[in-house]
Formats: sequence, C-alpha cells, structure tokens
Amino acid sequence: MLVIRRHPGESIRIGMDIELEIIECGHNRVKLGIRAPQHVPVMRSEILETRAQNLEAAGAMPRLSAKVRSGDGCRPAPLVGDTR
Amino acid sequence: MTLDTVHLGLISVDESSTIDFPEGLPGFEDCRRFVPLRHPAEPALLFLQSLERADLCFLATPVTSVRRDYGLLVSPEDLDLLGLPEDSQPRIGREVAALAIVSLAEGEEPTANLLAPIVIRIDNRRAVQAIRPDQLYTCREELVAEELVCS
Repeated sequence: MLVIRRHPGESIRIGMDIELEIIECGHNRVKLGIRAPQHVPVMRSEILETRAQNLEAAGAMPRLSAKVRSGDGCRPAPLVGDTR
Repeated sequence: MTLDTVHLGLISVDESSTIDFPEGLPGFEDCRRFVPLRHPAEPALLFLQSLERADLCFLATPVTSVRRDYGLLVSPEDLDLLGLPEDSQPRIGREVAALAIVSLAEGEEPTANLLAPIVIRIDNRRAVQAIRPDQLYTCREELVAEELVCS
C-alpha cells in the first residue's frame, strides 16, 4: 500500500480523473473531498459489505414457510409497543 | 391502498403505517418506502415490504431481541439524515425503533445484521440503515434458534 503524508488543503490524484483532497483533520477523523467522474462509484467501504448483505437478505422470503407467504393475517407492525 | 406483493399476496396498507428511507438502502437505493408488517405465523419477525418493488420484502427483528443489551451508535451523518441532534444518541423505544435485517442463506443458520441496523424515527417514520462506525457487531450475528421458526 502506498502511504503518503498530506496536510489539510492538499490533495492527491489517482489517474488523471480522480482527486482526493484532505479538507479537515480532526482528533480521530479525517474529512475528505473526492472528485471523480460520474461512472466511478464512490462509497464508504463498509457500505459495500452492507450492500452485499442486503442483496443476500432480499432472498430470504421464499425460504419461509408457505403459511407466511400466503399473507393472510398480515397486519401493520407498530414501531413501539409489541417489539420484543 | 392495496398492494399486490409477490411473497405476501394482496395486502392492504395504510399510508400512515409506511416508513420512508430518504436515501433507500445500500443495494436498493431506489426503494424508499416500506411498510413493516407482522404475521401471526412468525411472531418474532417483522416483514419490511417495499412499496416500490412488489418482489422485495426483507425479514427483520428488533435489535434488542437479538442482543438484549444492544446499544445504538449512529454516525453524525445518519443522525443528520434522520433530522436528529448530532450531540446525543437516540434511545431505542423512545426516539427511534431499531431493527436488524435477517438473512436466511441456504444451508446456514439465520443471521441478523447488527452492524447496520435500520433506525426509524418514531415521530415521523423517517428511516436510515445506519452503519455503525465501530466494529462492535458484525453484519452476520447468529440468532438464537428458538427466535425463528423456519420450515
């Protein structure tokens, strides 16, 4: 891994199209500005993991029993109260 | 309104019982409205049915039913999305409800995503999938067997 020290206000380039600027450096967090072409997806790494998990979880319904899948008896769930 | 869903069949939905994700969920950015439902056959589960996609229904369970002592940690960005103050954490059952999405992978035990709970503001039903900034929980926490009865 390439490691570079930078000050706030400085930036680095990845290829010709992507620019990463250090905007602010706090006690334990860094604020970054990212300029990239529209077709380059930019996201926090942990979102990728959650994205994969969501895609898998979206396939859970067909694995439940047919009893549930009939939908009979479905009712709105209150957000507080009967949550166990 | 009545929804013709793929997994639950015809369900009637009251506008006031929907929840809104202003930014959707990772992987489902275009799905912004869901309705949380319960079914008597699976009392431990909540069904999050998408209003935009008839074939999308997540299974979920309250985070505190997976880990009784679960403490929320919502990032300042997500608190801002919910319109909550950034200087304090919302309380489960007071300002917000917190649900974990459940996965049922083939041949594996069911798991719950405690790394990225769905946090819903109780007063205006605005919601976000809030990825924890720490690593205290994973996105595949095992459920206790009796909490979920599968066929």
